[in-house]
Amino acid sequence: MSLSDAMRGRFARGPAVTSPSAARASGDRTQAARLAILLLAVLAVVSLALSVATGASDASAVNVIRALVTGADETALSLRDRIIVFDIRMPRALLGFLIGAALAMSGAVMQGLFRNPLADPGLVGISSGSALGAVLMIVLGAGLPPAVMATLGAFALPLAAFVGGLITTLVLYRIATRGGQTSVATMLLAGIAIAALAGAVTGILIYMADDKQLRDITFWNLGSLAGMTWTKLLAAGPVILLALLVVPFLSRGLNAITLGEAAAFHMGVKVQRLKYTAVVAVAGAVGASVAVSGGIGFVGIVVPHLLRLVIGPDHRYLLPASALFGGVLLLGADMLARTVVAPAELPIGIITALAGAPFFLWVLLRDRGRNGW
Amino acid sequence: MIRARNLTVSLSGKTIVHGVSLEAKAGALTAIVGPNGSGKTTTMKALAGELSSTGEIAINGHDVRRLEPWQLAVKRAVLPQAATIAFPFTVREIVRLGLSVGPNRHAERIDAITAEALAAVDLAGFAGRLYQELSGGEQQRVQLARVLSQIWEPVLDGEPCFLMLDEPVSALDIRHQLTIMQLARRYCAGGGGVVAVMHDLNLTAMFADHMVMMRGGRIELAGPPAEVMTDDAMETVFGCRMRINTVPAPGIPFVLPHTAST
Repeated sequence: MSLSDAMRGRFARGPAVTSPSAARASGDRTQAARLAILLLAVLAVVSLALSVATGASDASAVNVIRALVTGADETALSLRDRIIVFDIRMPRALLGFLIGAALAMSGAVMQGLFRNPLADPGLVGISSGSALGAVLMIVLGAGLPPAVMATLGAFALPLAAFVGGLITTLVLYRIATRGGQTSVATMLLAGIAIAALAGAVTGILIYMADDKQLRDITFWNLGSLAGMTWTKLLAAGPVILLALLVVPFLSRGLNAITLGEAAAFHMGVKVQRLKYTAVVAVAGAVGASVAVSGGIGFVGIVVPHLLRLVIGPDHRYLLPASALFGGVLLLGADMLARTVVAPAELPIGIITALAGAPFFLWVLLRDRGRNGW
Repeated sequence: MIRARNLTVSLSGKTIVHGVSLEAKAGALTAIVGPNGSGKTTTMKALAGELSSTGEIAINGHDVRRLEPWQLAVKRAVLPQAATIAFPFTVREIVRLGLSVGPNRHAERIDAITAEALAAVDLAGFAGRLYQELSGGEQQRVQLARVLSQIWEPVLDGEPCFLMLDEPVSALDIRHQLTIMQLARRYCAGGGGVVAVMHDLNLTAMFADHMVMMRGGRIELAGPPAEVMTDDAMETVFGCRMRINTVPAPGIPFVLPHTAST
């Protein structure tokens, strides 16, 4: 049996997978995954360009860039256009893309780590923990020695949000995981409890806050890409970029941990190191994102889920694809947010929640009963 | 050889395994049997280096606790009891997990090994199926193919590799039980070793070289099946009065795997 069957198995798969049906038969989705990543990379460039080129004002990015390239006289283009394109749209587009990438990839990592497609940084309270860290810094930061604040500068907020997210993630993992198995129900319920607790403490801080602090805090609850500056990009960007660069190295470990922590160890994975690296990366990416944009929900759950339907759950492809797709999706949502009620704009968190919450319900309904939820 | 000396395992303050000493030789199938809760699986997990324990555990003379996970992963592979997964991996992707973690010495042979491992567990042609849509027995065989591909060569760099199987045939029909036990025997014939937690005493008697009988976290008896499977051993270990090699009174039919012709 074994030899002939082995031969049949080999020939059924064929030497090079070309047609989609052959790929289905072989269970090899590598080609589809690579194609998807290429396509998403192109989409990413297009959406970044579109974000810089369009907006409520008629400032023309093309004119600005042409003037730069041809070295035209500064007076040839209006100062207003330059400011709009360079100081408003560009940091907004870049940060928007990074935040979308951070949230989507963090979702994919959390889902892999918890072995559950419903784990999401927003849903399980990590975003709330980050927001609490940020609010703590806004309200109580004034009490810190001026020298400390001066040293931290623009990094104070992302740092506080990072620490808040990190603590929340560690607490959540400790509560929801017992003996290497993570309970879904415990995780989601613990997430609700942690979010409520963080919300309550945030409430106390709001009560203590003065008017200026109150205005700063209100900003987190909305979730918006408005008011992005190069300073914010410089503060949050490096943290997010670092997380985006580190996380792909966890792919193989996350694939192995799909079969459980014990099985991952059997296959040669340093499980504890994998878990802590993943948790720190997620807390960093989410914390930095929340610090500059507030709570933008559902990107982390929608993006990896859609991608798994197309390219499968292999994290070697899922993680980069999630980052690209998340960035593209958030820029798309942002363009929508800027144009539907122009010249005013909707907070982007409203748009992602409007689209994401029904999607979440759809996943729940579709999988109801199948995984014992 | 896997060798344990005075192995003791405590889980949440309760001692599950009390001073167990055993040897699993290369080229031999060692079966651990015993009633539920006798510490079989816990012993196996400790041997795999997965649980903290006291006493000595060595694989081919290397202290298991001093080896890095990837060093262990090329010397032994572990088949857990039922495994569920949350994501829609295909069968091929699951088997390849065994080949993608740790230093992979067969980069150019991955596709061939995947196909051969699936054929070995009688799942040729299943590569493109989704794991979640398979039956329990098929899933168990996919896992076995993954475990097998992780240490595909029974002997690596002159050192034997070990398959550690926790109830490898519990979910399988009788034909596939035989297929898997024969597969384990072939691995032994190739110079590797197999340690299996077993519930089926007939299959154990047919395929095991060495039988370890556990009760209450201790080894009660150990030796070749022909020597240790006695009426007294059944009663002492399993608390059930049974007679070895005795044909029951006529009336109720029985079938033994011994009679299978393959």
